[in-house]
Amino acid sequence: MSDVGIDSGILSPSERERILHAMAELCAQRGYEATTVAAIAERAGVSEATFTELFGDKEGCVASAFDAVLGEVLAVVAAAYSPDQSEWDSATQGIKSILEFMAAHPSFAQLSYIGVRQMGPRSLNTPYDAGVRMLAAMFDRGRDYSPTDNQPASAARAAIGGAEAVVRREIAAGRSENLPALLPQFIYGSTVPFLGQEEAMRLYHRAEELLAGTDWA
Amino acid sequence: MEGAQREALLREMLEELGRSGYEELSVDAALRAAGVPRPEFETEFGGKDKCLFAAYEHLTGQIVERTAAVCASTASWPERVRAGLTELLTQAAAEPRLAQAVTRSFPGIRPDTYQCYVDLLARFTPLMVEGRDYSGVAEELPAEVELLAVGAAEAIIFSEVDAGRTERLPEMVPEILFSVLVPFMGPERAADEMREAAAAR
Repeated sequence: MSDVGIDSGILSPSERERILHAMAELCAQRGYEATTVAAIAERAGVSEATFTELFGDKEGCVASAFDAVLGEVLAVVAAAYSPDQSEWDSATQGIKSILEFMAAHPSFAQLSYIGVRQMGPRSLNTPYDAGVRMLAAMFDRGRDYSPTDNQPASAARAAIGGAEAVVRREIAAGRSENLPALLPQFIYGSTVPFLGQEEAMRLYHRAEELLAGTDWA
Repeated sequence: MEGAQREALLREMLEELGRSGYEELSVDAALRAAGVPRPEFETEFGGKDKCLFAAYEHLTGQIVERTAAVCASTASWPERVRAGLTELLTQAAAEPRLAQAVTRSFPGIRPDTYQCYVDLLARFTPLMVEGRDYSGVAEELPAEVELLAVGAAEAIIFSEVDAGRTERLPEMVPEILFSVLVPFMGPERAADEMREAAAAR
């Protein structure tokens, strides 16, 4: 899996990458408001002029990080989809990849799930909102298999919100490395509004098997 | 500081936070509104942050207590969840700036304030535990099912508050109720409860 922001195509990838990491780490430690361009530049070992040339301002830097994370999320979900398996197995593998990506990049996990709620400008939420809409659309397809057609329109968004609450708790506690282990909980919560408890529990156990490395074929 | 005056100051601090945000928050405006002299504030809290933490702890404690009290009737668990949710959303709609402060402004300040929000959500999970008795499957439900339910409600509430539509929340009780109940009861019975809640409005 590629690293966040590595393929900028603008200037030195290492400079750009260092700045993005420094920004994400500082936001995780201090919060968005208290994170300054000067502090980001100092931690990244670049001049403020280089920062400005690359990102314009702090918002631009955060927007670039969110875009990079969203790009990674879309890529891993797309890679998880296969015509040779059920769409729920594909969804499970996609969520697993997202959780593994977040576990490998804890400061970006913090930025994506918690920092996004700290940003002043709502425009910075756009990539996060796009990611959530993608996941909601993925699980909303469960309506085609549902024993009832009475779910409210917000059911998928709410279900993902439930899983996100568990994810945010782990990130806030500094336990991002635990995120992949949440896969079965995530899958149960996201599928039960549509597929019902019995099928959601079957998928829960299947996610446990995937984590355990059991042959999944 | 006398009790009623302290209560007024804590409320004004969160109101001011919801109105102006952390950076622009005017302690003097909150002191004026609450009728608290600056020296008393300094003696009691020493500064803005300590007062904000006290305000958040105190007011969210009241919210949880009121919701739990409504949930403590002899009605069935789904009915009590509906009553608690109605109480919570009615409170939020009546005080949108406080709702903004509780869900976004205070948690968004920095990591330690966000942790208070995580702790707040955790305080609602004991109200969910009884839902396990309503499960339609024989095996034990996933360990996190209580937080999945609370987080589902929180996601919708947060998005409405953040979009400036806090006043809409009470009319959303039925659909939010569905998402709280569904991890415990499955979609068919949760939809029945949602319809009953809509009919009762």
